[in-house]
Amino acid sequence: MSGLVILNIANGVATGAFYVLMALGLSLILNLSGVINFAHGGFLALGGYFAYMLIPSVGFFGALLLAPILTAIVGLIVEQVLVRWLYGRDPLYSLLLTFGLAFIFQGGTRFLWGAQGLPMSIPAFLQQPLSSSLFFLTSYRVFNLVVVAAVVVLLFLLLRRTRFGIRIRAGTLDLDTVASLGVNVRLLRSFNFALGIFLAGLGGVLAAGQFRLDPTMGDDYLMPSFIAIIVGGVGSLGGTVLGGLLIGIATGVTTVFFPAASEAVMYVMMAVVLLIRPRGLFGEEGLMT
Amino acid sequence: MSVLEVRGVTKSFGSLVAVRDVSIAVERGELRAVIGPNGAGKTTFFNLISGFFPPSVGSIVFDGRDITRLAPHRRVALGMARTFQITEIFPELTVAENVRISTEVAAGYRLRPWLGRAAAARVQGRVESLLSLAGLGGKGDRLVGELAHGDQRAAEIAMALALEPRLLLLDEPTAGMGEQETYEIAQLIRRLHRDTKLTIVLIEHDMRVVFHLADRITVLDQGRLLAEGAPDAIAANEAVQAAYLGKAA
Amino acid sequence: MSAVSLPTARRVSYRPLALAAIWLVLLVAPYWMPFVGGYTALGTRILVFGLAAMSLNFLLGFTGVLSFGHAAYFGLGAYGTGLALKFLAPSTPLALILGVLLGAIAGAVLGALIVRRRGVYFAMVTIAFGQVFYFIAFRWHEVTGGDDGLRGFQRQPLHLGLTTIDILSNATAFYYFVLFCFALAVGLMAFLLRSPFGRTLLAIRENERRARFLGIPIELHIWLAFVISCAFIALAGGLDALLNNFANPRELHYSQSGEIVIMAVLGGMRSFWGPLIGAAVFISLEDYLSASAERWSVQIFNWPGHTLDWMFWIGLLFVVVVLLFPRGLLGVLQRGKT
Repeated sequence: MSGLVILNIANGVATGAFYVLMALGLSLILNLSGVINFAHGGFLALGGYFAYMLIPSVGFFGALLLAPILTAIVGLIVEQVLVRWLYGRDPLYSLLLTFGLAFIFQGGTRFLWGAQGLPMSIPAFLQQPLSSSLFFLTSYRVFNLVVVAAVVVLLFLLLRRTRFGIRIRAGTLDLDTVASLGVNVRLLRSFNFALGIFLAGLGGVLAAGQFRLDPTMGDDYLMPSFIAIIVGGVGSLGGTVLGGLLIGIATGVTTVFFPAASEAVMYVMMAVVLLIRPRGLFGEEGLMT
Repeated sequence: MSVLEVRGVTKSFGSLVAVRDVSIAVERGELRAVIGPNGAGKTTFFNLISGFFPPSVGSIVFDGRDITRLAPHRRVALGMARTFQITEIFPELTVAENVRISTEVAAGYRLRPWLGRAAAARVQGRVESLLSLAGLGGKGDRLVGELAHGDQRAAEIAMALALEPRLLLLDEPTAGMGEQETYEIAQLIRRLHRDTKLTIVLIEHDMRVVFHLADRITVLDQGRLLAEGAPDAIAANEAVQAAYLGKAA
Repeated sequence: MSAVSLPTARRVSYRPLALAAIWLVLLVAPYWMPFVGGYTALGTRILVFGLAAMSLNFLLGFTGVLSFGHAAYFGLGAYGTGLALKFLAPSTPLALILGVLLGAIAGAVLGALIVRRRGVYFAMVTIAFGQVFYFIAFRWHEVTGGDDGLRGFQRQPLHLGLTTIDILSNATAFYYFVLFCFALAVGLMAFLLRSPFGRTLLAIRENERRARFLGIPIELHIWLAFVISCAFIALAGGLDALLNNFANPRELHYSQSGEIVIMAVLGGMRSFWGPLIGAAVFISLEDYLSASAERWSVQIFNWPGHTLDWMFWIGLLFVVVVLLFPRGLLGVLQRGKT
């Protein structure tokens, strides 16, 4: 039994890593621009499809870098052409816009690549099980975890050590002050948006190898990522990381004991957090609440 | 007897102490002005009285009742109404609707799904008398958001009066107004105070308005109580002059 | 400016006319719809979603609170009605009442959890909690039928003492039954919005801080508006279950919530009737697209094996509405007049 629990905790962490990646991107955009990006799952799928197209020519590792960059470029274009106009307006409008974009992405990817899932080829050495007893633990899962961990560390370094990152963090707290210091807020928001979409694209490449590659693949991550942000606390990226992992683990463990409730458990977590600590575990009171 | 007694309140935000050990007592029917250079803590002091946040130290007593930690809407129910530095109104509703909402809330009708004929007529009459009191007689059907700044302020004051307050707090009632509007608002406040014997505490920048209206003046500087007294005494007070000149220099 | 608040001088003249026109169009709809390519069930569907969008707008347009999870309460109304018919008693009115109660109770419980949140955060929490009910409907196969949806119930004839009306096989009779429920609900909504309570909601929408400092306990009033809105939309959901003799878990999904929100915005969320008009446009368009999108795709792209489905076009509609008609169709008209 305990072996099964450990197995599912490990599984939960592996899934939680995707929630973390997705939620971090959502959180970056939400914190600085006040936009909930419903289309984030669509960008994630796009990342997967870009990788699918790129792998034959640049190989898996080339695609792992290039596909997220391409996705981020698409994100930048979408931001420039559509999203940008809605900053500072009633959040209703950005919600509806990204909601519509999510439909467009889903219809669009289905049009281009079909509704059926596509096989994503990952390098053979990543497909080996790491141990004979824990057959589920392929080296690809471990590889995913390492990549996500590295990206999270890099992101936090970026946000703490670079001028760009410090401006993003400052803008999260008080955008007007940042603007009055002469920072080009429009540019800051655009790059921040692209950064968030880059993370979605990367998640798409990794997830396509582990789970599935089809137009609705992003749907699996949207709600858990929302809840990760709420549980962790709006405004806190560290909280988002913790929230994502917690949800992954809680879902994994519930799968052992009460499979039917494995989706419900994260909602229960959210309800408990909202009752006991409405701002979320690491949220700051008054920030966007 | 004092309507409002503030006893030794201090408010700090982190390491910043915005208000430090301030006590005042406002008598019934008095018009008290609170002045001070920029950053003196006037607005924080006002927010403490109206219940935006509780003080770090000290207590606030309204009509003999300790209200230090009471929520804003409960203070309103006890008879404390306020206006804001930046006019706070319901811009896309008409002037009459603005005052009407306030009147209905004050009458305890806020949860009523309907009003009887008599109650509706009472509300209507009260709205009309408040509008004419505030000098907004013919403007009831205009959207508040479309009015001139001075009229918006008058509407906000009418809304506050609809609550039948025993204490009216006015946060810089003439902020951002021109000569003529400032004069009209000052006249409105003076008329209110004279006709209704309402107790009023106001923060004001414009010294002409302050010395024209106030019975007593409280001066804050850097969060502390610097001086308090009748207008003449304050005008002659050297510490007050120093505080203002010091800032100006 | 809202159409239900006190009539201002310039509006008095045409309002009764517009009202009469709306009710006239609805009353004779089964007779004119076929001439413009419609059919009675489509008219009924428009009424159902019109009521849903107007219920949401009670919150969105008149209280200024953005719920993006209202499909959950629509769906609860549908499942509550269906389950009551299937397991409790063969009475259409009783089933509807139970559906409304289920939606209102769920709204009351969750509303209490989320009522302190605002803006984007409120929207996120409403979406997430809405999904709870989606998963319950989707997973609890024994009761809800799971992803196949709830089947095995039918709307029952109405017994009115002297006479019995067959609303099952007679689509027109059912349309008038739905119109009757719609009129009751919409009348009650308008009545509430004209009341002192309704005006406190407008006050909260216009300026929450001012409302708080008038002495209105904001959280209580938003909670009440939330519960009322949930009850109305549950009625719409119940009527939808009766219309289809079927309840679909997809109706609880957040994408359905998004569609209801866009109906309200498309029609004009600052006006009382706007959401009905938005629903009429949206439902008709959806009906048309689901039949024509594939044909368009072939005509435009002629790429065998690749079809651009209705979802893409609906998504495009969202983008166009948000960027070009944020005030909605009625908003555009009203601005033209002033």
